Amino acid sequence: MAVKRSKKVRNRASQTRTRKGPARARRATRADVEPSKNGDAVAESAESVDGAGDVESNGAVAAAPRRRATAQSMAAKQRDISVSEFFAKNRHLLGFDNPRKALLTTVKEAVDNSLDACEEAGILPEIWVHIEATGNDRYKVGVQDNGPGILKKQIPLIFGKLLYGSKFHRLRQSRGQQGIGISAAGMYGVQTTGKPVKILSKVSIKKPAHYYEIQIDTKKNQPQILNGRGEGVDIPPSQKGKEYVEKHGIEWVHQPHGTRVTIELQAKFVRGRGSVDEYLEQTAIANPHVALHYVDPDGNPRDYPRSADRLPEEPKEIKPHPYGVELGRLITLLHDAPNSTVAQFLTTTFSRVTSHVARKICNTAKISTRASTRRIGRKEADSLYQAIQATKISSPATDCISPIGEELILKGLHHVVPGEFYAAATRPPAVYRGNPFQIEVGIAYGGQAAMQYVTKELLRELIEETDARTIRQFFIHTFNGLGNEAADRIIKESQLATRQSPSSLKPKEIERLLTAMKDVNVSEGQTMEVLRYANRVPLQFSPASCAITQSVIGTNWRSYHLSQSRGALPKGPVTVMVHVASVWVPFTSESKEAIASYPEIQKELRLALQAVGRKLGMYVRRRRKVKQQSDRRQVFLRYLGEVATAVSDINGRDRAALYDQLISVAKKRTADADVKLDDRGRPIEDADLELGENVLIVDPMEAPATINRAPAAVEETE
Amino acid sequence: MANKQIRRKRGAVAEAKAAAAKLTPRDKKTMGSIVGLADGVVSAAEKRKDPFVDIPSRTLANVRYSPRKRIIEMGNSTNRRQLFDLSQAKAYMQTMLVASGCKRLLNQGKTTSLRGLFYMLKHTIDGTKENTFDDQDQCDPVIEDIEVLLNTLREELHLYASNRGTLVGPITLVDSGDTIDCSRMGSGGYNIPSIVEPDVMQFVKCDAKFILHVEKDTVWRRFNEDKFWRKHNCLLTHGMGQPPRGVRRLLNRLHNELQLPIYCLLDNDPWGYYIYSVIKQGSINLAFESQRMAIPDVRYLGLRSKDFERCQLSDGVKIALNETDRKRAKQIAGYPWFAKKRDWQREIEKMLKNDFKLEVESLISKDISYVTEEYVPARLADQDWLD
Repeated sequence: MAVKRSKKVRNRASQTRTRKGPARARRATRADVEPSKNGDAVAESAESVDGAGDVESNGAVAAAPRRRATAQSMAAKQRDISVSEFFAKNRHLLGFDNPRKALLTTVKEAVDNSLDACEEAGILPEIWVHIEATGNDRYKVGVQDNGPGILKKQIPLIFGKLLYGSKFHRLRQSRGQQGIGISAAGMYGVQTTGKPVKILSKVSIKKPAHYYEIQIDTKKNQPQILNGRGEGVDIPPSQKGKEYVEKHGIEWVHQPHGTRVTIELQAKFVRGRGSVDEYLEQTAIANPHVALHYVDPDGNPRDYPRSADRLPEEPKEIKPHPYGVELGRLITLLHDAPNSTVAQFLTTTFSRVTSHVARKICNTAKISTRASTRRIGRKEADSLYQAIQATKISSPATDCISPIGEELILKGLHHVVPGEFYAAATRPPAVYRGNPFQIEVGIAYGGQAAMQYVTKELLRELIEETDARTIRQFFIHTFNGLGNEAADRIIKESQLATRQSPSSLKPKEIERLLTAMKDVNVSEGQTMEVLRYANRVPLQFSPASCAITQSVIGTNWRSYHLSQSRGALPKGPVTVMVHVASVWVPFTSESKEAIASYPEIQKELRLALQAVGRKLGMYVRRRRKVKQQSDRRQVFLRYLGEVATAVSDINGRDRAALYDQLISVAKKRTADADVKLDDRGRPIEDADLELGENVLIVDPMEAPATINRAPAAVEETE
Repeated sequence: MANKQIRRKRGAVAEAKAAAAKLTPRDKKTMGSIVGLADGVVSAAEKRKDPFVDIPSRTLANVRYSPRKRIIEMGNSTNRRQLFDLSQAKAYMQTMLVASGCKRLLNQGKTTSLRGLFYMLKHTIDGTKENTFDDQDQCDPVIEDIEVLLNTLREELHLYASNRGTLVGPITLVDSGDTIDCSRMGSGGYNIPSIVEPDVMQFVKCDAKFILHVEKDTVWRRFNEDKFWRKHNCLLTHGMGQPPRGVRRLLNRLHNELQLPIYCLLDNDPWGYYIYSVIKQGSINLAFESQRMAIPDVRYLGLRSKDFERCQLSDGVKIALNETDRKRAKQIAGYPWFAKKRDWQREIEKMLKNDFKLEVESLISKDISYVTEEYVPARLADQDWLD
């Protein structure tokens, strides 16, 4: 057997070799041919670039290569690269690769900054996001918060200088990390439209508001203030100030304190995956303490009201854990602490290093505990580094992480994702490479059930209210979570034309639509939606390379009664949100799109997903059982009338009485349909007890996010 | 909806009027058992219990061959049909519907065909798109259920099957008061009705010495055209394949009341064997009627497995056995009433060995009247038949 197989393998190998052989050969010949074909042209163009002066030497190509530049001439061109210049050229690194993403990144950076500021100040955040089309593929993005405001002298630096911020140098859970985002967005705006970034900030109701128009000097990485003769403008807090704001067309929602930034940029507004709408919606889920007011370029307002009135725990700043520090960083840290002994250095710089541990490390490294840090050279530092790794040091404190919390996850999900069942799980904190982190998972199930309960009156109202051009659009926009495919199936079932306008529907057609909505199983062919978060910020791109998606796919959802093919997301009306909170989230790249797969993180992800999966499985199984029973009852009820009629025809007994009696027997027989059963089929009093805490079961019609009412009424008031 | 109610009301009025129809003592007995069935439902419902009916099962497992009587008898096992069982709810409803339909027929003193009853009861269930019966194939078995359940005969329920089967020969009988001379029926013959009970049909005069029962219409016509019955002084019947109950009951009466021996001329295939078995011992499905249907003394005249060689038939008339045929043949050979007959075992073995079947019509390949002039007379003369 083994022999046979090896032979087969060899065969296959030889086959592929032979198959590849000619292809390679062909490619080679093509490569040979092509340069010879337009080789002259290439040579010519090359010459014209570097040898501008000597056209005559063209003929002597075969001669020894001439130096094109000298070390001296090259040195003249060698100079500093400013950070802003670098990122102006490489803006894709920051998420400005295309106009669509640029808009999202701008909104995202501004909102993330606002949320960080509000939370740090202990203010319940309220955020206004206005996007306005100004023509020529240009959009004006205005983001305002009710945060603490910014001191006058800091405003230009924060918005007009790259790599300026408060969050880089500390180890603390926050959304932003580097201090690039918002100033890069401003820079992108200035570069693409030439319009300056406008900032209005107010510290308190009594103090004047500061108004700046700034653009970034990319050469120097310095802000340039354009208004008030390079000084900015102070707007007094009086009525006069209000008038000034209105007169100069400055956008500002009147608030006692807060900051507003307005950036005009070249962009493209889209809906759906990777859109601003999606970002704001997902932000609302993970930040239930935030109130969001959003006006899209079409002028449609959308509000995400606050579902929790409590700020999350303030995350604590921690000292780095020795395990997470690399040699280079260790040397820098040693350099920064010149006047102490090594033991002192270790205990004060790092967390979890007691003097006992410090002594152990020094002994292992064969360095005196009392040696001055100034004396530690590269070699000693290296042995110190090795000693740290070899010494057993307890894990870092984990109270520095502020999770969303199961209760708030449930609230947030319930507010935004339609469904009938919600569950959440927060894992205890864990550590990867010396960095504490924590995983939270929430799940929402059964989104589209609401479709089936829509009454004729409601449907008619919805159709009247909508401004969608086609029925398909109407369905997708009105019923949250309903995909294109499901909408198409409903329309097909109702035998209406896809492009028909909802306003031209006849009453009969509406009726057909209603029956189709009830008949079509919309959850069929739907796959699970995965919402990924890192420190409460939604991750909208590169799902495939993210540890979260990989863990979701790697979980066996079949044992929780969802169908799932190998290596794919499970099917069904399910939404899973996964939050990774950490003092330092390990992103796979600078654009912060995906989380790296550390085994410790993967393990915690798996355990958290399993925790919510178990609860979902119990719910689905029970629901299925109850449904079977009620189906049974339906079958019986269907025939009882006929039986009663036939019997009373025969013996002349009262049909109604007999019918009622039969109905009561039927109810008794299918009593399970009314009783909640546990997983072993025994009736239990309280179903929620069995499922444990942090589970929310709602009537799908009552979920606020189920149906999007058209904003017609709101528009009138504005 | 409203329409339906009106219709229903009208139906009730008609019923009230028809209720005047006089019930014969037999009808009264039938009516009693139907009402008893309905009362059972009411009393179960009053006690908050599941209503059910126990229907004697009509399967091979529940029939018993009585070697003494030489007929198939029904056993005692029953199938419970419950209203509150997912797979039986509809069947239960249909059972009650059929019962109520029969009650209406009795009340009005009318009879109807199986198909007529099907149409009487077929309607859409209120509030659904489902029909009480989708086609007649759903209705007929339920009628048989009612027959066994109430231990009544189809005639007693005022139902009849469509006429299938013909009689010709020197016999005079009275059918529903009309005197019929079956020797003067032209080329068509006398159509055997579904109900041939003594109160409907009486025999007046019979000169025939035996009965020849053939399988199909074509063969029967051959015999009739050649006036075989006149030459041999016999009655000639067919039952269009598996004979319906009317034909079997008539054969049974002719045999028992007029002491006429019966010979069957059937195809040499499993289906022919089974037709013979049904005429002789009764059918598994209607085992409860064997007593008045089965004719244990009937004889199997042909066609035999050996006839291909004996009559020197050409290869062209062979019909290859298929898998179902072979399976069925083995099944028949295993029936207790065939198991102990060595001749029959040999016969079936021979057919399986031949691996082809023969239809009676194949004899026509020899000569158009070979079957009437040579084959049957020779078998009769030699007394060459199977029992």
